[in-house]
Amino acid sequence: MTEPLISARNIKKYFDVSGGQLKAVDGISFDIYPKETFGLVGESGCGKSTAGRTIVRLYEPTDGELIFNGKNIYNLSRKEMQEVRRNFQIVFQDPYASLNPRMTVEDIVAEPLDIHGAYKTREERSDRVIELLRLVGLGEEHVLRFPHEFSGGQRQRIGIARALALNPKFIVCDEPISALDVSIQAQVVNLLKDLQEKLGLTYMFIAHDLSMVRYISDRVGVMYLGHMMELAKSEELYANPIHPYTKALLSAIPIPDPEVQRSRKRIMLEGDVPSPINPKPGCRFVDRCSCATEICRKETPEFLEKSPNHFVACHNV
Amino acid sequence: MENVLEVRDLKISFQTFFGEVEAVRGISFNVGKKETVAIVGESGCGKSVTASGIMQLLPMPPAFFKGGEIIFNGENLLKKSEKEMQGIRGNKISMVFQDPMTSLNPTMKIGKQIVEGLVKHHKMSRDQAENKAIEMLKLVAVPQPEKRINQYPHEFSGGMRQRVMIALAMACNPQLLIADEPTTALDVTVQAQILELMKKLQDQLEMSIILITHDLGIVADMSDRVVVMYAGQIVETGLTDEIFANPKHPYTRKLLASVPRLDMSKDEPLYSIDGTPPDLYIPPKGCSFYDRCTEAMKVCKEHLPELDEHSATHLSRCWLNHPMANKANSMGGGEK
Amino acid sequence: MKAEYNFSPDLFTVAAKEDRNKEKIHRPSIRYWPDVWRRLKMNHLAMTGLGLIILFSILAFVGTEINGFKYFEQNYELINVHPDSVHWFGTDELGRDLFTRVWYGTRYSLFIGVMAAFIDFAIGVLYGGIAGVTSRRIDSVMMRIAEVIYSIPYLLVVILISVVFSSAGQGSSLFVMIFAMTLTSWVPMAILVRGQVLQLKESEYALASESLGADKSWILRKHIIPNTLGPILVNVTLSIPRAIFAEATLSFLGLGIQAPRSSLGALANDGLAGLPVGNAYQILIPAIFISLTMFAFNVLGDGLRDALDPRLRK
Repeated sequence: MTEPLISARNIKKYFDVSGGQLKAVDGISFDIYPKETFGLVGESGCGKSTAGRTIVRLYEPTDGELIFNGKNIYNLSRKEMQEVRRNFQIVFQDPYASLNPRMTVEDIVAEPLDIHGAYKTREERSDRVIELLRLVGLGEEHVLRFPHEFSGGQRQRIGIARALALNPKFIVCDEPISALDVSIQAQVVNLLKDLQEKLGLTYMFIAHDLSMVRYISDRVGVMYLGHMMELAKSEELYANPIHPYTKALLSAIPIPDPEVQRSRKRIMLEGDVPSPINPKPGCRFVDRCSCATEICRKETPEFLEKSPNHFVACHNV
Repeated sequence: MENVLEVRDLKISFQTFFGEVEAVRGISFNVGKKETVAIVGESGCGKSVTASGIMQLLPMPPAFFKGGEIIFNGENLLKKSEKEMQGIRGNKISMVFQDPMTSLNPTMKIGKQIVEGLVKHHKMSRDQAENKAIEMLKLVAVPQPEKRINQYPHEFSGGMRQRVMIALAMACNPQLLIADEPTTALDVTVQAQILELMKKLQDQLEMSIILITHDLGIVADMSDRVVVMYAGQIVETGLTDEIFANPKHPYTRKLLASVPRLDMSKDEPLYSIDGTPPDLYIPPKGCSFYDRCTEAMKVCKEHLPELDEHSATHLSRCWLNHPMANKANSMGGGEK
Repeated sequence: MKAEYNFSPDLFTVAAKEDRNKEKIHRPSIRYWPDVWRRLKMNHLAMTGLGLIILFSILAFVGTEINGFKYFEQNYELINVHPDSVHWFGTDELGRDLFTRVWYGTRYSLFIGVMAAFIDFAIGVLYGGIAGVTSRRIDSVMMRIAEVIYSIPYLLVVILISVVFSSAGQGSSLFVMIFAMTLTSWVPMAILVRGQVLQLKESEYALASESLGADKSWILRKHIIPNTLGPILVNVTLSIPRAIFAEATLSFLGLGIQAPRSSLGALANDGLAGLPVGNAYQILIPAIFISLTMFAFNVLGDGLRDALDPRLRK
């Protein structure tokens, strides 16, 4: 049994907002092993993006620990954190907003190198930039152009090149394909997979597109309103979902095959995803769950292993 | 089946500083009564411009109709005056947009927005219109409609707002509903609800729907026929079953192969289409998919492919279907 | 309907991979500032303003040499001469050629205007930048201080400073005056910069930079300030005429430039005496040039604002 690369323990992130307290992430724990892709899915407001950003300490956590290399990164000083940052990178969702419109591609991709002083000569810098661009399928001719001259998919690839600059071990992909066209999504996902093989990367892949997450992930966690509802190997999760939310989520995804789609039985959820501000005690899913019982309203279910490596937080299984 | 809408060789361009951008380059398709036609394509292919063009909601300038006809109930919409179009919009043809927050007036109560259309188009009295508005909200499953007609858009959640948009669009019982990415901004579970709702309403009101989307799952779920657009042109069209079972155009094939399916094995590779769509300032002379097509032939660069009829309903434009193509490539040329 | 094509079978062979350019970018590279310049050029009013500014700037230096008279040259034979072919703008009550004096005055008006605007810019950017990136508490304090400073009546400050310095024997030197003017006028710029910084701080590329390990000053320098230059430039361009007018007012009131130096405002002050005695040109001419100068900067600033607005892109 290999050691996990990172271990998240009871991570919480609360925000103070005008209506009260927004409990975006309310106590999630999981391990991510080297060279695996850990998928995190959920609908809006579930906290998956916040979780991703808190894990790399882009947001300071309200509580919890993140163990990397034997240390809790939340306790590190600014200087020590700088070193850790070389290993933890993020690729953002919006390829139109995550690149500074006034900087050339070269400067954008070289920024991590500049910040950490990772080269000696200008030539080294530009060589490394070209090397990174080639890794993502772009080339030398793109180096002096500006972000607005590229398509969404190309911009996202520039963002990935930037994330790779310091040879990180772990990359959080925060909805990296949601803003892209369908055929480009496959492009970027295939690229990420290739890079993972080539460079031995570990990913946390955050998305709301369950089909894509299943395709790229080894294990998948399902979040709802700040809580982790289910966690299992991706095949297992999709084949044998246990939690009622997971079941509803899977059945809501339309399959691109008219015959199959016609013959499917759908589980319809009532209502909308509720707000994560000042949540009530008990299971977060209780208002929309078809099998909710008394205990579901009173006690938050524990996250327990119901079958080998398959964790669920539900009173009724 | 009679056609509610017939689009013939429609061409729409935009005049910009750099020159003319040919957004829609000669497309033709029909929408029958009670039919759902899905227009699929990626951003920049012209599907949204087509939708807005049918309603003549494009800013003119810089947009202009370069050619073609849009026949609705036997009349050419392009020949209509703005006043006549106003009588059609919201009344005979309605539109639902992607982002309900920006398409609903944030300073006007929901009820008022619905009532306005009814009073204007159907000459109802305020009371009649209000009752109808409540009825519509009930139809789209907005709880407590009597109370909610006096609320503002920001008091509704995303899914609810989209329901209100649909209520607004349906209020005058239109013949044709154009839905431009109606569920893209919604969560998956909410999306499922909205799509079910649209199907139910279509049945009840005997309405035709043009559904603009890039999600092939929604296409499989909702549509009767599919129109596949690429770079301002239609590359393939046919019944939904035909298109999914037997796609004839390399773009359609690649598109289908690039979408991961919940029911496929994880080990099946996901095909992606390299590159990006062409810039429509300099529209390609031949097939617009040439630069990204792995089966491209020399002729594809020079000449726009002819229209092939695979069945009465299934059409595509691709040189691979030309008899000469089969001969030259019978050795299995081109990558798959 | 199939058209009759005469195809050679060769056409149907597979196209070479190299021939298909998948990642081609067709359009030429449009860089940001050249594009802004292009859009500005299309605005004829703004271009007129720019032209006037350039013309006046040149004349501020060479204008005094054009017609041979010196700005201090007094000629008691030719006092209060109305504009004619020798003295194009006439002479003042000491017989000095007004044409030459106008350009001499413009020199100082422009200098003071630009200097004051530049100082506003420097202080404003520094103050606003820091306020934008620090904690909310420090930012609050900084803003309250700025508001208090700004609410002090401007004229009061100037008079106070002038008095203090003249009692110390300095007199109203140029720099004292600029100091007095800029003591409170930097606040709007600081507020603008702070607003921009607050907004851009939340932008995703700033966040990305932070995730790469950048500290606050790096983000401010590399990401935020360059993206605020647009609105800052507009503000600077528009604060020049404000400063020019402020100086003109002060000099007109006798609080500004002292002899032997002169500015357009001081000239207007000198010319005031000519008004009741039928020598209106003595005040009219400097006034016209003050107006033209301000007008030029204002339309240029407005044009810049439009040229920078992404929504007005044609």
